[in-house]
Amino acid sequence: MSENELQTEVDERRVRFSIDESVYDLDVVMGAAYLFLDRGYVFLDRVGDRRIQVALRTRKPASEAELHALAGEFANELLNQALRKRVGEANGRLREFIMAKALFAADGPSTIDRLLAELDAEEMAADDLDIPVPWEKPSGG
Amino acid sequence: MLTPLKVDPTTFDEGSVGYFRYGMVGDKVLLTNDVGEHLFLTPEEFRRFIAGQVQADEPLYANLRKRYFLKRDLDVEQFATKLRRKKAFLQNGPHLHAIVTTLRCNHACRYCHASRTDMTATDTDMSLETARKVVDFAFRSPTPVLGFEFQGGEPTANFPVIRFVVDYALEKNRYENKELLLSTVTNLTLMDEEKMHFLLDRGVSICTSLDGPADLHDKNRGWMEKQSSHATVTGWMDKFNAEWVRRGFDPDLFHVDALMTTTRASLSRGRDIVDEYVNRGIRSLHLRPLNPFGFAVNTWQQVGYTMDEFLAFYRSTLDYIIELNRKGVFVQERLASVFLTKMFTPDDPNYSDCRSPCGSGSAQLAYNFDGSIYTDDEGRMAAHMGNDFFKLGHVDTSSFDEILRHPTVKALKVASIQDALPACHSCVHKPTCGVQPLHNYMFDGDIFGQRPRSRKCQEFYGVQQYLYQLLSNDTDGSLERIFRRWTIQRSRPGTTPYAPASEVTA
Repeated sequence: MSENELQTEVDERRVRFSIDESVYDLDVVMGAAYLFLDRGYVFLDRVGDRRIQVALRTRKPASEAELHALAGEFANELLNQALRKRVGEANGRLREFIMAKALFAADGPSTIDRLLAELDAEEMAADDLDIPVPWEKPSGG
Repeated sequence: MLTPLKVDPTTFDEGSVGYFRYGMVGDKVLLTNDVGEHLFLTPEEFRRFIAGQVQADEPLYANLRKRYFLKRDLDVEQFATKLRRKKAFLQNGPHLHAIVTTLRCNHACRYCHASRTDMTATDTDMSLETARKVVDFAFRSPTPVLGFEFQGGEPTANFPVIRFVVDYALEKNRYENKELLLSTVTNLTLMDEEKMHFLLDRGVSICTSLDGPADLHDKNRGWMEKQSSHATVTGWMDKFNAEWVRRGFDPDLFHVDALMTTTRASLSRGRDIVDEYVNRGIRSLHLRPLNPFGFAVNTWQQVGYTMDEFLAFYRSTLDYIIELNRKGVFVQERLASVFLTKMFTPDDPNYSDCRSPCGSGSAQLAYNFDGSIYTDDEGRMAAHMGNDFFKLGHVDTSSFDEILRHPTVKALKVASIQDALPACHSCVHKPTCGVQPLHNYMFDGDIFGQRPRSRKCQEFYGVQQYLYQLLSNDTDGSLERIFRRWTIQRSRPGTTPYAPASEVTA
C-alpha cells in the first residue's frame, strides 16, 4: 500500500480512517461527511494534532469490500469538496457584490416609502431645534 | 449527491474561473451557475477549465464566457440584472391566498393530506364575516397579482362562502386594480348546474383530483356515496369543458385542470394515467409523489413506496410523455416544466415549493375556516396534527405587516436559503431547485432537515438529474425544442371580468 493510499480500519459495518487537516480543512471534511448521512452514521473525532478521524457506520450490513469502497468514495468526495471550497473562496467577494447589486431593492420598503423615509431623514438632519430629540436626552445646550 | 469525478483542487486557477457548481450526468460534467445557465463538458474539458487552460480562441471559451462561467471578461452588470430578474419574486408580497371554506368532505381518500371532518360537522364552516375579513386582509398584500384558491375539506360544501368571496373580491378589485386570479380545488361531486354557471360566469378556474383511469381513481379516492367518484368527476369535467367551448373559449386554455397523486397502485400505470389526461384535453400533468404525512401515515404500508420506486415511475412516465410530444400530442409534466423554466428562461416560475427562499408566509398564506392565518396549507395541516408552530395570526387581530415579519416566516426563510444550507449551497442543481422547510418539518420534526435523507430533496434531485441526462443525449436538439415549449405558459385572457351578479347570464 503506497503512502498516498487511504489507511482504513474495518470492522462490522464500520470503516475508520484519519485525515490530515493540513491537507483537508475541517469544513471540507464536514462537507463530505454531510453527504454520507443517507448511507449511514458519521462520527468525527480529533485523534491527534491536526488529524481528524472519520468513522462511517452503515445502516445495513456491509461486506469488507463495500466498506473499503465507502471509504474510497469519501476520499474522492473530499477532493471535490476541496475544489468547491476553493471555487467559493476565490469568488466570494465578487458574488456578494453581484448579489447585493441584484437584490438592492428586492425586499425593502416600496420606492415611495423609501423616498418618504429619505425626506424624513433630511428634515431631521436639518432640524436646528432638535425637535425629535426626546426630553430625557436633550442635546448639549 | 456524491460526485464520482476525480479532480485535483490544487490546479484550480483563481484568477480566471468564475463561480460555478458541478456534478456528473452520465459521463459528462454539468456546470451550472446562479443565473440558471448550464453547460456540459467532458471530464478533460472540465480539467482544463478549472485549471484556466481553455484558450480564448477556442469555441469552448466563448461558450463558457457567454454563460458567465469565466471571471475574466465577466459582465458584472449584466449578470446582476439577470440575477435580479431570477429573484424578482422577492419583490412582491404573498400572491396566493388559500381559503379553507370548510373542513367537511364527502370523500375519505387513502392518502389524504388535508384535515377533514364528516359532512355533518358544520361547525368547521367559515362564516361570511370571517370570509370578508380574509378578503380584506389579502388585498393588503402589495402584490400586483392576487390569487384566491378555495381549499378544504371539500370547499364547495360551503358554497355560500365561495360565492361571497368571489363577488366581494371582484367588487373590491374594481378599485384595487390587481390581476385577480380565482380558483377552486374541488372533487366536483357536490357540483350542480347553478354552481357551475356561477363559477364560469366569474372566471373561476377549476382544479380537481384525477388519479387516472376509473379503477385506479376509485381505488385511491373512496367516496362516502359508494358510487364511482371517477364517473362523477369526469362527467362534470366534460360539462365544464363543453360549456367553455359553448361560450367561445379556447379549450386549450379553458378546461378543468386536474392533479393526480401517485400511490403504490399507480406505479405500474404511468401510461394509463397520461392517456386519461390527454383524452380529457388536459395538457399539463403533475406526477406528484405521496408524502408520508396526514392520513397517509396510517395507510403508508398499503399506498406508500420508496423514492427510488417513485423516480423509476417518474422516468418511465416522462419518457412516454416525451414520446407523445414527438408524435405531435402536446402534454407536459408540470414539475419538469418548473425546472425547465428555470433552466431555459430568464425567469423563475415562482413555484412556492421550489424556491429559494421558500414562499411559505411570503408568497402564500392559508386561512383556516376560523380565520387563523398559516404560512401555507402544510402549516395548517401541521396545526391539525397538533402543532400550531406555523400559525402566524388571525384575521381579527393581526396586521399584514405583523404576518410578513413574523418570526416563523423569518425562520422558514433562513431554513430555505439554499446558499446557506449544507449540501444545497454547492449542489449542481441549486440554481434550479428549492427547499420547502415544511416538508422537512413534517418528515423530520426539523425545518432544516438533512438533505441526503430528505424525500423532497431526493425527488427534486432525481427529476433534475434525469432532465439533464435526457438533454445531454439530445444530439439533434429535438428534445430541447419540446422542453422549451413546456416553459411557455399561456395566460387565460379575460378570466377576471367584473360582472355584477345581476348582469350575469347563465
